[in-house]
Amino acid sequence: MSSRLMIIIAALLICIIGISSIYSSTCQKEGRLWQDIYKRQILWALIGALFFMLVSNVNYHRIWDWTYILYIATVFFLFLVFILGLARLGAQRWLRVAWFNFQPSEFAKLAVIIFLARYYSRKSSNDTRLCAQRYGIASGIIIPFLFICIPMGLIVEQPDLGSGLMLFALFISMLLLSGVKFRYIFIFLFLTALPVPFLWHFLRDYQKERLLVFLNPNIDPLGAGYTIIQSKIAIGSGGLFGKGWLAGTQSQLRFLPESHTDFIFATFAEQWGFFGGVLLLLMYLAIICQGFNIAQRTSDQFGRLLAAGISLMLSIQICVNIFMNMGLAPVVGLPLPLMSYGGSSMIVTLISIGILVNIDKTRTVF
Amino acid sequence: MRIGLVVSCIVMFFVIAFAGLFNLQIAHGRSNRDLSRKNCIRLVPRLGARGKILDRRGEVIVGNKLYYDAAVMGRGIKEASGTLAAIAPLLGKSSGELEKAFRRGFVVSSLPVVVASNIDIKEAIALEEIKSDLPGLIIQPKPQRAYPYGRLACHVAGYINEIDRWRLTKLADYGYKTRDLVGFGGAEEQYDYYLRQESGGLSIEVDHRGRFVRELGFKEPQSGKDVQLTLDLRIQKIVEGALDGRKGAVVIMDPASGEVLAMSSFPNFNPGIFVEKDAQEIASVVRNSEAPLMNRAISNSYPAGSIFKVIVATAALEQKKINKNTTFVCTGSTQVGRSVFKCWNTHGEQDIVRAIAHSCNVFFYRTGLLAGAQNIHDYAVKFGLAHDTGFELLYETGGFVPSPLWRKLKQFKGWYDGDTANLSIGQGDVLVTPLQIARMMAVFANGGYLVTPNIIKAIDGKQVVSSKKRAIAVPIKDSTMGLVREGLREVVSLPDGTSSILAQLPVDVAGKTGTAQAPPGAAHGWFAGFFPFKDPHFVICVFLERAGAGYHAAMLGKRIIEQMSKEGLI
Repeated sequence: MSSRLMIIIAALLICIIGISSIYSSTCQKEGRLWQDIYKRQILWALIGALFFMLVSNVNYHRIWDWTYILYIATVFFLFLVFILGLARLGAQRWLRVAWFNFQPSEFAKLAVIIFLARYYSRKSSNDTRLCAQRYGIASGIIIPFLFICIPMGLIVEQPDLGSGLMLFALFISMLLLSGVKFRYIFIFLFLTALPVPFLWHFLRDYQKERLLVFLNPNIDPLGAGYTIIQSKIAIGSGGLFGKGWLAGTQSQLRFLPESHTDFIFATFAEQWGFFGGVLLLLMYLAIICQGFNIAQRTSDQFGRLLAAGISLMLSIQICVNIFMNMGLAPVVGLPLPLMSYGGSSMIVTLISIGILVNIDKTRTVF
Repeated sequence: MRIGLVVSCIVMFFVIAFAGLFNLQIAHGRSNRDLSRKNCIRLVPRLGARGKILDRRGEVIVGNKLYYDAAVMGRGIKEASGTLAAIAPLLGKSSGELEKAFRRGFVVSSLPVVVASNIDIKEAIALEEIKSDLPGLIIQPKPQRAYPYGRLACHVAGYINEIDRWRLTKLADYGYKTRDLVGFGGAEEQYDYYLRQESGGLSIEVDHRGRFVRELGFKEPQSGKDVQLTLDLRIQKIVEGALDGRKGAVVIMDPASGEVLAMSSFPNFNPGIFVEKDAQEIASVVRNSEAPLMNRAISNSYPAGSIFKVIVATAALEQKKINKNTTFVCTGSTQVGRSVFKCWNTHGEQDIVRAIAHSCNVFFYRTGLLAGAQNIHDYAVKFGLAHDTGFELLYETGGFVPSPLWRKLKQFKGWYDGDTANLSIGQGDVLVTPLQIARMMAVFANGGYLVTPNIIKAIDGKQVVSSKKRAIAVPIKDSTMGLVREGLREVVSLPDGTSSILAQLPVDVAGKTGTAQAPPGAAHGWFAGFFPFKDPHFVICVFLERAGAGYHAAMLGKRIIEQMSKEGLI
């Protein structure tokens, strides 16, 4: 089976599982709006599928040309969010467009990957070899980091520390993959790690609370620790085979907050148990591994970095979200790709997978 | 090459995720499942009613009344405060008060906390109407002990209270828990196992705000079994009415079966204070130096006084030391050893019948010396003294009758004739309970059988097995029996008999008074007898603590018998 077929099948199955989990966690809530939420997710999935078909049939080298436009558009939208957030004197992650909310930070993740892939695949004019290996610390790290800092700073300011840190993690892994010298990377990491203890004072109260609660959820079992305790109970009570479809007491009786967005994995694992959870993780693993396979098989540096970057983005989000569900990571607002309710995340993920498929296809054509 | 590194990192993270899943779902699956159950399942206890205590005709002595409790369920004060604030005005309390009660009573989130107990039916209905809007509010019906006659028969029935540490260690194996209500004293304690209700409950599923989702199961609460006593409430009321205000005890018993028809002890207590948890009243009852909680009819023993003379007479007649023609001359006193023992009067020549009728001390000093102390002791034991009667209620004391052997073994002292003389008139170390005296009297009433006093007629409608109520034949000759009975009758019928005041009663009464010296303080008064003389249906024993003389006890006995015959109970 070809890589892209595997990716498409796994993604489709995960989408279906996601929609069924959203249905199960919202069907008992009051109000039509809640009960119809799974229909909206179906709509997002269909729109995402359209984007997927579009992207997978357009040669990915076209993206090379749009890189700077994409980057500037992303920064513009993030800035718009920042301005509106200021106006509302509070947290603001969405832009209200017509009848739906648009979350620019989701698109920023993909834009950053595309930007870095293009940056590190530049070739020198007199030599066909890659510039990356010969980059010094300034052009290899500092300059791209400054470019990343603009969207990252805007996202952290929203405040969405999770997505911001994810951009940073993407940057570091892209550095690794691009071939920048190891010692530069280590120097850079060391330098950024130095001020970390002082950053504590810049964290918002709820962020400090979440970190403390991650270390010990029982310090505030009905407040900040509540979600993580309920999530662990939900997953654990699933047991080997789960409580069955629509029979999860934790999610259906609403003991688990955010059961259709960030904590959808707990909802799923409660109903389908260890077997379901392992199966789902294996499907995600299949997508990621095939993504890296595609990256490895691609001779073109831009395509390779793009494929690897997308696979990395997916794996970081999946791992952090699932760890957070199981209480192994602090609660940050990262959705589970293809499962969590949310249009922006769904469409961006499907576009990313479309790019992956396209890279695979294009390579075969050559 | 670097891709490989990154991929292996990611695979490692997935392996950690698998391990995490395994840890939560398989290794800790069971405990997590319990936790999720605790989250959404609430138990709402429903109390059954404790068994009733009835008299022999089925009239309720101790029953139950339905009260209501307002309880609130929630995982913490934050969740409950909304509901508490909403119900506070209906209950006429401030929400702060209710919050305090909630905090005090909170144990776990799965159990409702009672914030207002014993609310009346109107408030309960008002709360029931708004219940559906308030998460976690529960109105629990709660049957509680009610005493339709107040203090009546309080010692026989007993009272209920929260289990104490001593009883808990004793009863923990039988499923008793802390804060259970159990019986204390009387039938409540002795038959607690039968009277005890089995609480049932409702298990319901609730959502994250504690609102009802669906019913999972219901266990019907089981009411306790009713215990029927042999008491006749009509007689009990007469007895308590007559005794009211005086320290002492009265026992009325059926001499043929040993069934106790009335048993009363004063001072008494109001068992209702334990239900209302009136701390001040409880403290005043418990600390009272007159011990109102003690059942004087069985739980304390007193010197017997002249009533003991019937045993001395029986012993001497049986041992053929005297016969019906034996006479002694009472000159007001007699010399025993080197000391002079006085009589309370000068009676002249006395035979056995007259001596009983006049309660002549001189005759019994002489008779006692002839019979011997050990014989007297042995006959006392045959009449059921000096050990407990086998009565069903707890905390019975056995009393005591001294003997030369006991004196030698326990006190390393000799036994002198003076001691025998004292024993002959029931003074000295003789200690008896009113129930023992009634039982002794029953032997003369029923013609020679030592019955086992009993008070439980039926449990849950089933008669208590009669083999437990067996009577033992006392080996005395008919002639002895006849002489003593004649003496007891003449106590009443002779114009100068010690209880001649009972002669005007419409029934023929036979009996014996006693005045027991118990220095320091006034003497105890006794009266024990049976009636009607020809075919006795009742044995009565009246004991008045520190009354001064047996005359007062006889007066009281007269009033009781009079009232009984007036009400047509004889």
